[in-house]
Amino acid sequence: MKLQKIVEDLKLQILTKMEDKDVQGVFISDLLSDVMTSANAGDLWLTVQTHHNIIAVANLVNVAAVVVTHGKKVPEETISLGKRYHVIILSTPNPIFDIAAKLNAIGLKSQ
Amino acid sequence: MTAKGCSHTWKMINVAYGHIITEKCSKCYIVSTYFSFEDRPPLEEHREGDHFWNVMESAQSFRFDFQCTRCSQIVHFDELMGLLMCTGCDKNCEAEKIQQSHEKERTWVYVAFGFLPIADHKQLSREQIAMLEDFFNQRRKSADSRIKIVSQELVPDFSLCYGAVIKDVNMLSLTPPEADDSQLIHYLGGKR
Repeated sequence: MKLQKIVEDLKLQILTKMEDKDVQGVFISDLLSDVMTSANAGDLWLTVQTHHNIIAVANLVNVAAVVVTHGKKVPEETISLGKRYHVIILSTPNPIFDIAAKLNAIGLKSQ
Repeated sequence: MTAKGCSHTWKMINVAYGHIITEKCSKCYIVSTYFSFEDRPPLEEHREGDHFWNVMESAQSFRFDFQCTRCSQIVHFDELMGLLMCTGCDKNCEAEKIQQSHEKERTWVYVAFGFLPIADHKQLSREQIAMLEDFFNQRRKSADSRIKIVSQELVPDFSLCYGAVIKDVNMLSLTPPEADDSQLIHYLGGKR
């Protein structure tokens, strides 16, 4: 599924440069260690974390994009690092559960 | 297939969660790190020989080994404390120079570092660093970017490095969610 379609369907806000990537699954965690050990390349990573370290992990694992949920404000430092490393950061005021339910409804699952 | 001559494909095995404890000696100010498998890492001051260790930080992290899916060879990474993404904080740093020279082709530099003090711990070998690099590149599904893992020997002074260390500490966002009327209405049972 294309990232652009997900952005439009779920009305996600784009905080960095946008590239239309293939999204192959969904991973939900607020622990960097979990993402490093268990997330897959091409996953959409849902989290409430906004620290700039999320860019280091997202880039290493090669997730399709990071979705910061619950209306958490993403610091400028994180956005700027995301732009430099081509890590797409999206945000939504909705809680993780709602976003996960919508992703499930449009056919995305965990890999 | 035997390990010799195998073009390895690595998978992460024996993942064990724990904490990386950073301590400082109150007498000689040396900094030491170690990995604790305890659920609640020790926080109290303790004496070890001439050192009086005080905990500076406890960060959740994990340890792992690699196993080749083709030849079953297992490689341990007991020497690895963590990875740091180079953010270009020091133009004189060799890691930053490598990052600069590879950035156009979207190759991103991470520094693999071992436990402190460096002189007291066995550090990662070049072969282990190459295996880490292979693992993270094999895990990527697109070829539009690459990961390059380098040794901490390239960083002249870690205490001055502002790279993004991958560890679960100080991650808490203190920023409250931005106001969202639709959710507020939801919480109020549909009434304002």
